[in-house]
Amino acid sequence: MTVLLQLLFQGVGIGAVYALVALGFVLIYRATNVVNFAQGQFAVVGAYGMVVTTADLGLPYWLGILITLAVMALFGALFNLGVYYPLRNRSFLPVVISTIGASIFITNIILGVYGPEPSMLAPMLDAPGISLGNLFLDAQYLTIIAVTLALVALQYLFFEHTLLGKRMQAVSQDKEMASLLGIKVGWMIMLTFIYSAMLGGIAGILVAPILFVSVGLGGQIALKAFAATIIGGFGDVPGAIVGGIAIGVIETFGAYYISVPYKDAFAFIVLFAFLLLRPSGLFGEKVSQKA
Amino acid sequence: MKLLELDAVAAAYGAVQALQSLSLGVAKGEIVALLGANGAGKSTTLRAISGLLRPTRGEIRFEGAPIAGMHPERVVRLGIAHVPEGRRVFPGLTVRENILLGASNRRASRAQLGREADEMYEIFPDLLRLQGALGWTLSGGQQQMLALARGLMAQPKLLLLDEPSLGLAPLIVQQVFRVIARIREQGTTVLLVEQNARIALSVADRGYVLETGRLVTEGSPGELWDNEEVRAAYLGGKVTKAA
Ligand SMILES: Nc1ncnc2c1ncn2[C@@H]1O[C@H](COP(=O)(O)OP(=O)(O)O)[C@@H](O)[C@H]1O
Ligand SMILES: [Mg+2]
Repeated sequence: MTVLLQLLFQGVGIGAVYALVALGFVLIYRATNVVNFAQGQFAVVGAYGMVVTTADLGLPYWLGILITLAVMALFGALFNLGVYYPLRNRSFLPVVISTIGASIFITNIILGVYGPEPSMLAPMLDAPGISLGNLFLDAQYLTIIAVTLALVALQYLFFEHTLLGKRMQAVSQDKEMASLLGIKVGWMIMLTFIYSAMLGGIAGILVAPILFVSVGLGGQIALKAFAATIIGGFGDVPGAIVGGIAIGVIETFGAYYISVPYKDAFAFIVLFAFLLLRPSGLFGEKVSQKA
Repeated sequence: MKLLELDAVAAAYGAVQALQSLSLGVAKGEIVALLGANGAGKSTTLRAISGLLRPTRGEIRFEGAPIAGMHPERVVRLGIAHVPEGRRVFPGLTVRENILLGASNRRASRAQLGREADEMYEIFPDLLRLQGALGWTLSGGQQQMLALARGLMAQPKLLLLDEPSLGLAPLIVQQVFRVIARIREQGTTVLLVEQNARIALSVADRGYVLETGRLVTEGSPGELWDNEEVRAAYLGGKVTKAA
């Protein structure tokens, strides 16, 4: 029983990271209909932001986080202007290829500067965690879960209870109509990219202390975030969160009970199973109603 | 000076020439009907005015100032609201949210917007009980009412309406047109695109008839309706006595 709970805790923790990346992925997809293949790289940039500020420059963690978040916001804006905006009136494929190009570009910049060796970060908090009987709740995992919960709640309040949130939803549903009403579509999309990049960055900041930070991290996280969005129903916001956590839990249990080396394969297996058996995702009915 | 003037406007979709040298005017306080068969260029005319489509030639003036080629986000701030073909209600937002977003062209406090939305329920009583319903759940008539309410929230000087009767039951069409007449009484100028000439001419002060992107004729509702050639060819009316 303890083992189950322990695994569940860790699975939810890592799954929350996938959920954050998946959320950024879905928000961009909804706002622009672009599948952003560089979403995993957003997390890598966030993680390296922490490496640069705290490990290389020796800044305190809180300052490193603030600087990294600011960099992510700027990064999201530049990504919009450089990767999406010039191709916004083209069909699906050129933009998607453009995001793949951006992903390769980012990966190679980081490789050029840091090489392939992974970097390590000190733990974010001094306390190692909390013991509940035989259960050990690691502080970093607790932080991840708490931050993710807070972000999801804030995002819900923003999209459901502010006029700006409603305008962003309107843009994702019908850009031409939104602009006829005077909604500044270009700005709304800009905000979406900034926010999505920050979500990815936060995911990177949060996992940096528990994983080795390397460029390979981006591909891994992107794959799982992608699997999460398929499970949740492509483009579905709550689905992305549930999907991300599901992937985290599945791979954690799979690694413990089946095979550690094949840990990353479990996301693939789940992804294929859903594509074959339930391509519209867990919450599929809702998506089809949109048509 | 006319509120809106089109001067030799041409527009195209790629190689398809949709409008050729169209000139027309709308004076303040009028309801002007733009009639013609399917594909005549009526929607294209509205799209050119609201900025969805950049004319290839010609001038569009609103209150004397040129607006051709201006971005829709700016045109609506000048006071032109476009209720497009197909209503285009936001499917995933509630009725009330759809209404509130209609005021995105101007600054107003949340409380002020709330009061204005409440006033819309007086003009469109059906929307009140639907205010929490998502856009996609509405019937065609309800969507048309919502699209009108959303357009009015812009507090436009000129309202562009594209086929408000399309796909609606006759009783609902009458309801919609009563509202359109009422909108004008409250001081809003209306440029009304319709295939249903009879109902459009019943509220309009003047009408223009388009065919394949060109103006065929213009006149008062009576003149247009009495011109049998026009009626048979463009207004879809049988040669029976009009009411
Ligand atoms: N998006 C488009 N792409 C290409 N041609 C179009 C498009 N929209 C309209 N057209 C063409 O432009 C002409 C005018 O269309 P439209 O203005 O929609 O007519 P109406 O509203 O009077 O039915 C038609 O020949 C139509 O086929
Ligand atoms: Mg039309």
